[in-house]
Amino acid sequence: MSEQGVVERLRARLRSQRLTIAKRELQVLSREKTIVLALVIQLFVAGFSGFLVVGLVSLYDPGSVEGYGIDAAVTGEASDEMLAAMDDSDTLTGTEYDSRAAAFEAFDEGRAQAVFDTALREDRITVTLTAPEGSIETTLVVAESQEALRALERQQRTERAASLEVIPLDLPPDRGGNPYFDFTYTVLLPLLVFLPVFISGSIAVDSITEEVDRGTLELLRVAPVSLTQIVDGKALAMIILAPLQAMTWLALLSLNGVSVANGAWLFLLATAATVVVVAFAIGISLVASDRRSAQLLFSVGVLLLFAAASFLPGSPANTAALLAIDSATASTYAAVVGYLVAAVGAAAVVRWLTGQVDPNEL
Amino acid sequence: MSLRTRLRRIWRIARWEVSLGSTSLDRQTLLAGVALLLLAGGIAGAGLALGVDGLSPTQDIYRVGIDDDSPYYNVVADHAALSPQEPDREKLETGELDLIVAPAGNSGTVSLTVGGDDGEGVVEAGALGQSTVSVAHAPTEKGTAALTSFRAAVQGYNDRLMALEPNRTAAYPVSVRLQYRPQSSPTGARGGGSSETDAGSDDGTDTEGGDGAADDGSDGSNGGSDNDQSTDDDTNDGSTGDANLDVDDERDDPDVDNDDDSLLDGLLSGGNSQGSPAEISPPFPFSSLVLAFVFLVPMNFIIQAYGGTILNERINRRGELLLVAPIQRLDIVAGKTLPYLLAAVVAITGISLGVGGGLLSVAAVLPIALAFLASTFVGAMFARSFKELTFVTVTVSVFLTTYVFVPAIFTNVTPIALISPLTLVVMELQGEAVGLGGYVFATAPFFLGSTILFLLGVGVYREEDMFTQKPVPLKFLDAIDARLRGPKSVAVASALTIPFVFIGELLAIAALYVMPIEITVPLILVTIAAIEEVAKSIHIYAGIESDRFDRSIKTALLLGGLSGLGFFVGEKFTAIAQIVGLPELVLGQATLTPAGVTPATTLALFLGPLVLHTVTAAISALGARKDFRWYLVAMLAATLVHAAYNFAVVSAYV
Repeated sequence: MSEQGVVERLRARLRSQRLTIAKRELQVLSREKTIVLALVIQLFVAGFSGFLVVGLVSLYDPGSVEGYGIDAAVTGEASDEMLAAMDDSDTLTGTEYDSRAAAFEAFDEGRAQAVFDTALREDRITVTLTAPEGSIETTLVVAESQEALRALERQQRTERAASLEVIPLDLPPDRGGNPYFDFTYTVLLPLLVFLPVFISGSIAVDSITEEVDRGTLELLRVAPVSLTQIVDGKALAMIILAPLQAMTWLALLSLNGVSVANGAWLFLLATAATVVVVAFAIGISLVASDRRSAQLLFSVGVLLLFAAASFLPGSPANTAALLAIDSATASTYAAVVGYLVAAVGAAAVVRWLTGQVDPNEL
Repeated sequence: MSLRTRLRRIWRIARWEVSLGSTSLDRQTLLAGVALLLLAGGIAGAGLALGVDGLSPTQDIYRVGIDDDSPYYNVVADHAALSPQEPDREKLETGELDLIVAPAGNSGTVSLTVGGDDGEGVVEAGALGQSTVSVAHAPTEKGTAALTSFRAAVQGYNDRLMALEPNRTAAYPVSVRLQYRPQSSPTGARGGGSSETDAGSDDGTDTEGGDGAADDGSDGSNGGSDNDQSTDDDTNDGSTGDANLDVDDERDDPDVDNDDDSLLDGLLSGGNSQGSPAEISPPFPFSSLVLAFVFLVPMNFIIQAYGGTILNERINRRGELLLVAPIQRLDIVAGKTLPYLLAAVVAITGISLGVGGGLLSVAAVLPIALAFLASTFVGAMFARSFKELTFVTVTVSVFLTTYVFVPAIFTNVTPIALISPLTLVVMELQGEAVGLGGYVFATAPFFLGSTILFLLGVGVYREEDMFTQKPVPLKFLDAIDARLRGPKSVAVASALTIPFVFIGELLAIAALYVMPIEITVPLILVTIAAIEEVAKSIHIYAGIESDRFDRSIKTALLLGGLSGLGFFVGEKFTAIAQIVGLPELVLGQATLTPAGVTPATTLALFLGPLVLHTVTAAISALGARKDFRWYLVAMLAATLVHAAYNFAVVSAYV
């Protein structure tokens, strides 16, 4: 058989009824402007998450606020040790006060944002830390003070190393890295990749149960197409849609300054996940009795499967995070290939199931 | 018709609804459900059997080069986010490693070019004193983030080591007690006065309770913990300070008490105020937030079923039978909603009992549940197909979840967090008291908004809207029109849009927040103007389109004036409610609604918004009397006028 013939046959197949049905599905969605709604949701999620990240970082990471400093009033018997511990801090500057009253006066007058009231008791240092109440600074002051107190604790431990069985490890220096750097990759990005997948599955359920519910499947069956072809077409529309949406959002993230690596692999992952979820959705809607139970089963089922999958090495969310943050290893790529295999398997199982279903009984 | 008959009818419809729902869960569906559970359980079980410590989405995101005989190897291997690899400096430069922890010997200076910038090579983070180990990270944001993560991992590792130490004093040489104390602005306007009392007297003039009460509290709650001693009177020389500390003892201690009662305290203790430096925590209500989020989970399933049942009525004219029955439309909707509302209440109460919340949590989440149901109801009345309904449901849950959850994160930071009822839950879980004013402020917009949405939906719960395939915008206009009566109702409708305007403006601010400030401020001013103009004119357009009002210029001006007046009154009313309910919010509302709610000191400032609202609403109304295109043009003009006014006011204040 010539190569030309194969291509011709392939083309003919592609032009088949499946594509017509897929096109119709997409047209319906665009006419209902539901796609627009989906994009708005994701834009909203992306925008809000940006807000959240910026908010969290400025709350907890003083390094991001230029020239920000906290003045601390130190008083009591262990003032010298406390002040020594503050030396390492970039943001916290300690000032010694002779008496507690003087320290609190400084606090009340706003010259100090924290008071470290120290005392030596039974060979320990006790510190009463006072932070401003209910102010935007509170979290920052407490977080920075905690750092200083931990430094003090380390110093004291080192001094008492003789009494310890295990000596604690030295801390690496703090270079002001963003502690929320991973948030974008491990929470936001999987959300943006898998939310369209979930919605696609949900629409696949609707698409089939609604035809059954309204009795329009009968009409469709008058046309010379088999149930498998109808289902194929509907599934195809959904499978095209979700990965494209996911990629759009990753592109937007990149524009926003979040570098996303392994775009092609992420596309494959999103496609594989969509195929699995849509196959699952179609399986459910063929088995369940009506739309309501199908939707319930689908959403509970997908959430359960997603949660269960997170117990596996290479869970979908983790795989997406590793790919995007550019920490992927051979096993990550293997996981993507695994999902692709699972997708082919799921599609095959559901097509077989569709073949078994008697359309007249739906 | 007597109230009893009505209630009985509602009840009957509710029972009917429940029986419908339960028959649809037939054997086949149940079997499929069980199969699903088994499959999910099997996958999770397989994961657990393989010995994978899963559940961490951050698994292995940072690759750390480290020798397996390094004292730090276990730190890296034990931490979920760090993955130990072969140390190879080359890989740090190629981006295959993010961090290297290696013996200090081989740390030669490396220089390479990254992104065209010279001297941005591998960053030596310095040698660690104790052993001969040095750390270097990749010259990227990820590299520094990896170092920060590694630092936290070492800290956690040390904490675990020390927990095993037999010598407690050497392992925990420092003990900390954290307390909070109100501080006035840095200028010291109020601070001067209070500091004098603190310094001058030792009998605690600015405290509400005496020493005894406070000490009782702390002893009772922390029973025998050795940190207590720092608060006791006989500890230190300066008794002046004790007077200060007692203020906060009272505030802090109920906190501790409540936490002790909570079921999950051991797992998720948040806001700790006493212990070793590692144990105190900033006032970030993480655990309470997680628990508060649990309240939102069942809502998603409830609205899915609820939206389904409402749309079901509209397919194949199934709801016609109920419509022709001698029952009021409101009763039909109430009956169909009741089972889902009850389900929500049961779920909320159950969760509240489970997480250690109280009546307040139930009372705070109830309006959220109502908002979920109300917006789903309207969505299901407008949707043309189940596909569309699915999008509506997802939209509703994403918007509402974000809207109630994100402010709750800032519970301890700013009182503006109270715009979300979930903040009340977080506060209760933390053991904070919530005043009636706070409750009303947080929940009233939700109650009001839900009521308005239900009324809108009930308006189109009629044959000509339910069983036709009109585009959503037309249905929306119909729904508004169904609520209009005379010109006066236009003013009322404008006032009633306030909760939605408030929500819309907040969302706009939050979404635009990330942009640079030069763009944000003008953009926000224009957006706010646009939102308010739409709110003031959309019902006028709806009324004119349906020929409820005639198209004369006189009517348009009258309607515009009334609409502006109604909006102005509503806006002023919320401003007053805010100031009365929450004095500390004055600052917040000035930033939130720059247009109307500016502090009105002079008559001109007070009347300014009134004139503005009536004029702009009249402009829109004049456009609305022609057609949709003219309406858009007129509204654009009104928005520009409004934005110019906003800009002038803001510039005058800044």
